[in-house]
Amino acid sequence: MAFSAVLHPAFILAVLPLRASLSEVLGEPFQLMPKILAVSIQSKLQQVTLQWTVPNLTHQELKMSFQIEISRVKTSNIIWVENYNTTVKWNQVLHWNWKSEIPLECGTHFLRIRAMVNDGKHPPQSSWSNWSSWKEVSVQVSVQPNTLLILPKNKLLEEGSNVTMCLVYGHYLYNASCKLQDEPIHGEQLDSHTSLIKLNNVVFLSNTGTNINCEAMNATDKPFGTVLFVSKVLEEPKSFSCETQDFKTLKCSWEPGVDTGLAWSQQDSQNYTLYESFSGRRELSNHRNSHTWQITEDSQETYNFTLTTENKLRKRSVNIIFNLTHRVHLKAPHDVTLEIISATKANMTWKVHSRGDSYTLLCQVELQHEREVIQEHNVSVHVSASYLFSDLEPDTEYKARVRCADANHFWKWSDWTQKEFSTPEAAPSQALDVWRQVWLENGRRVLNLHWKPLLKSQANGKITSYNIVVENQDRPTESEHYSVWAPALGIQLNLDPSSYKIHVTANNSVGASPESVIALSDDSGREEVHENRINGTKDGFHISWDHLSGDALGYVVDWCAHSRDQHCDLQWENLGPNTTSTIITSDAFKPGVRYNFRIFERSTQQNAQLLEKQTGYTQELAPLENPEVRVNFTSNSVTLNWQDYASDFQSAFVEGYRVYLKSKELQCHPKGKRTLLPDNSMACEYDINDPKQKTFTVKNLQPETLYEFFVTPYTSAGQGPNGTFTKVTTLDEHSHMLLQILLPMTFCVLLIIIACYWKSQWVKEKCYPDIPNPYKSSILSLIKSKKNTHLIMNVKDCIPDVLEVINKVEGPKTQCIGSGKPHAEDVSIKPPSVPTESGSSGPVPCIFFENFTYDQSAFDSGSHGLIPGPLKDTPHQLGLLTPPDKLLNALGKDYMKSLAESPTEETSLIYVSQLASPMCGDKDSLATNPPMPVHCSEYKMQMAVPGSLASPALSENNSLTSMILLGQGEQ
Amino acid sequence: MQTQLPQRTLLSLVLSLLFLSMAQATRGCSSSSPQLLSQLQNQANITGNTGSLLEPYILLQRLNTSALRAACTEYPVTFPSEDTLRALSKPRFLNTVHATLGRVWRQLGALRQQIPKIQAFPELERARQNIQGIRNNVYCMAQLLHHTLEIPEPTQAGSGTSPSISTTPSIFQAKLDSCRFLWGYHRFMGSVGRVFREWGDGSSRSRRHSPRHSPLRAWRKGARRIRPSRSSQSPMSRVKVPR
Repeated sequence: MAFSAVLHPAFILAVLPLRASLSEVLGEPFQLMPKILAVSIQSKLQQVTLQWTVPNLTHQELKMSFQIEISRVKTSNIIWVENYNTTVKWNQVLHWNWKSEIPLECGTHFLRIRAMVNDGKHPPQSSWSNWSSWKEVSVQVSVQPNTLLILPKNKLLEEGSNVTMCLVYGHYLYNASCKLQDEPIHGEQLDSHTSLIKLNNVVFLSNTGTNINCEAMNATDKPFGTVLFVSKVLEEPKSFSCETQDFKTLKCSWEPGVDTGLAWSQQDSQNYTLYESFSGRRELSNHRNSHTWQITEDSQETYNFTLTTENKLRKRSVNIIFNLTHRVHLKAPHDVTLEIISATKANMTWKVHSRGDSYTLLCQVELQHEREVIQEHNVSVHVSASYLFSDLEPDTEYKARVRCADANHFWKWSDWTQKEFSTPEAAPSQALDVWRQVWLENGRRVLNLHWKPLLKSQANGKITSYNIVVENQDRPTESEHYSVWAPALGIQLNLDPSSYKIHVTANNSVGASPESVIALSDDSGREEVHENRINGTKDGFHISWDHLSGDALGYVVDWCAHSRDQHCDLQWENLGPNTTSTIITSDAFKPGVRYNFRIFERSTQQNAQLLEKQTGYTQELAPLENPEVRVNFTSNSVTLNWQDYASDFQSAFVEGYRVYLKSKELQCHPKGKRTLLPDNSMACEYDINDPKQKTFTVKNLQPETLYEFFVTPYTSAGQGPNGTFTKVTTLDEHSHMLLQILLPMTFCVLLIIIACYWKSQWVKEKCYPDIPNPYKSSILSLIKSKKNTHLIMNVKDCIPDVLEVINKVEGPKTQCIGSGKPHAEDVSIKPPSVPTESGSSGPVPCIFFENFTYDQSAFDSGSHGLIPGPLKDTPHQLGLLTPPDKLLNALGKDYMKSLAESPTEETSLIYVSQLASPMCGDKDSLATNPPMPVHCSEYKMQMAVPGSLASPALSENNSLTSMILLGQGEQ
Repeated sequence: MQTQLPQRTLLSLVLSLLFLSMAQATRGCSSSSPQLLSQLQNQANITGNTGSLLEPYILLQRLNTSALRAACTEYPVTFPSEDTLRALSKPRFLNTVHATLGRVWRQLGALRQQIPKIQAFPELERARQNIQGIRNNVYCMAQLLHHTLEIPEPTQAGSGTSPSISTTPSIFQAKLDSCRFLWGYHRFMGSVGRVFREWGDGSSRSRRHSPRHSPLRAWRKGARRIRPSRSSQSPMSRVKVPR
């Protein structure tokens, strides 16, 4: 039995070549036809696996080619043909996989295979063998009526890939339409109940998947759909490297790239695995970007790492190989100390993490000040080291730091270890830069002493104060000391006109700076030099000057912005002795600002002599303001005046002024020219090219005409801003003449009025006296001409019948009233005068004078009582108080005649002349204003009344005859 | 989207404050029934708002298309209807709410598995915490009613079961189911809130009629007398679903 078992294969092997040879001899083509053993399906992978064998294989090994055909839905619809070459061993089962682009559930597939020997060692098979029979491959799915099956479900694919989906319709369902999120997608019909939708180059939308939903007619449920899980493409890790700090662990790190994890457990984030080939160890990293690898064998020096990242769709790897000693990343140095040696020196010491004295490390030492590296040194170190920093600045903060690396195989510097320190202060090392301004004020010299702050490198500490010693050269014993606290940068001193030497020092906590000396001669501040104009540029001013003497110690150029303020921000620059020009630049220079420069020569005695003055602008600008113009005008000229315009403080040198004149006629003066204004109106332009001329007269203008003026300055950069025109209407020519006449006339009239007022009393007396003087009557002249000298009655010649004297009499006079005898003094024969006593608070004396001399009826009235006593007693004084009969007699015919000759020609008239006060005659006013004293000494108008009317009045007054009325109440 | 963010922030603040009081509830129940009822009303109103959970979920799962939104709301997962809730006695009502929320809480835990990074969906964890808070308050309310909550018997189909995501045929379907589940949850909470409001209204009426009696006593007395309101005959007319 055992023998036969061994013999059978041997027999076959012997027979096979024989058969082949026989076939050749017989001329029959020898064909090895494959036999399909099985066709399996991996539905999720959409993969078909074909297994076959080659029966009757004549050799132990034979190279063969196989051709496989795949059809879909029906055998004639061949969709795939592939040749597969392999070496076939005797009795071997061969495998071949095919991945379908569509889910296998979407349709039936058919496979067949044929073979051909393709081996050079053996006679090749001239043609393909016959095809195997078709093998049907199908995945049965059941689709419920009125439903739609969308395949594949939950498809995982990579961004940028293509996918084909199929829609399998259940019964009664039709007309399906699908959308990818909101975008409609269209398919093609595969067969009666299946359609395909192909999506190319899918994009990643969300890690929760891309939803595809479909709706169809007659669907019982909606929507139908599936989710495509589009993964981002797995990226290769970048910057993969490993290093050690302590030869115990290796820290490997890399940049992981995008996370490809998807929701619904479709795909976890990619994992990272390290594989070391020499040790054969593989470790899965717990982190996305690093892993710590334990060094287990001290003897291993070389490492070969492969970092692999993987997700469900892809795997990527990177590899590094290195010697461990070449990947040493030292820990930062430790125990760093700093010892301050002096204000300029400090010593730093530190230790390193070293594997021993045999290893040499390289350390880098840096010194930083204000984040700027100012010193850098390399130091070789075994275990510890030190470094001395020198040339340090006093009172300065520094940061010293150190890092180390392997000196033999440099890989990376360690981290820095740093220490901050400050150097102590030292005395200021530099003398102050001092300058001065001198001017005269009220006969005394005022010195403004300025100095620039020391640089930090010169101050060597915080400047606390400045000391100033003023040494009078004429009186050396008199020196004054001043101390100014920082941060002041100047002092003002009042000095008498002597020579001075001034010493200035700066002090900090350690000491004083070298002194700066500045000298003042007797005439400092009195120098007068001509001022030149210079042109600046945007870069500054070019200043040049001439040597004054050959022994100049140097020159000083100082400058100030030209302003109305006396105290400017003085700047200066020291220049060497051989310098005669310089360019002054400053960030503070502004266009349109005038700067005044002075050039001084410093002598060996520290005295400074003013050489030149220069002034200019970095850039001249057009004037920013126009002058305010005052206008004087006549009927034919206008004078403009702008004396107040400060032309020295403008944004450029004023070169002149332009006067614009507008009028209806627009006839320009010969000196003017017609010009077009920006508002397209025409005007006459007059150019004044002398900046000092600030007045302008336009003549030959028309009277009563409206003119408009505008004055603007101009500089090299242009003229001033546009402004409003001043409107002026010239005067009327006649009114001017009238004015010439009216003014003197008015003056004269006024003069007359004043004179009249001044002499009003005189005029009154002369022109309209209260009691006409018959002697001065005009009639008199006529009478005189007739030489009738008796026409005018003399009072002395009259015998008055009744005399009423009304007067106010004070206390004593009241007694007179009681006696009923008027005092002789009370009977006034003088012209009635106005009582003027101011102290009188009682009733104003009123004198009622009734001249009955002219009362014809009085003569007829026998009832008129007389005051015989007094009259008789004083006939010489009271001559007027004569009895009526005497009066009548006295008057006689002359009187009557005069009456007859009077202008009235009325014998029935009587003339009443009375002196009365308005108060006296006005009882109402008396009643209402009793305490108000009013002058009553006014004569009432003399009037003529008919005799018939006068009689009753007189009769009423009968009882008043020869009585004195006292007080208004009694009136 | 932009206008929702501040609302969400505000919502989070309010929920946090409520959660604080809920945390207190876990330590010990409040003896103030009006306060408890007010809290429950507020909690129900807030969790009934779809902005607290559903909308973030729709955005996260990219279901914010008109067709998919409609699919979410057209076939809501069955929760106890408002009429059913209103018809229950107060103890039964509390029992139902407590039990339903327990299921929701577990379901949301399962939903968490769908999210690769929970940081992308913080509303989910917040919702679970809030549910626990509401359940605590329901528990306290039951205690005030001298009622012991029972573990509900397995509900019959159509009376409050929630679907199991694990049985869904596809992720697409699972997404829709979860969306519908969340929609049903919000609607359920809206109904719970309205029922709680009616409790409050009833207490006011009771107070008016019997001022000496505590509101709680009034509820207990009236618990048996609750009848389906007229609106129960037209279920959709009273159900105002928050969106």
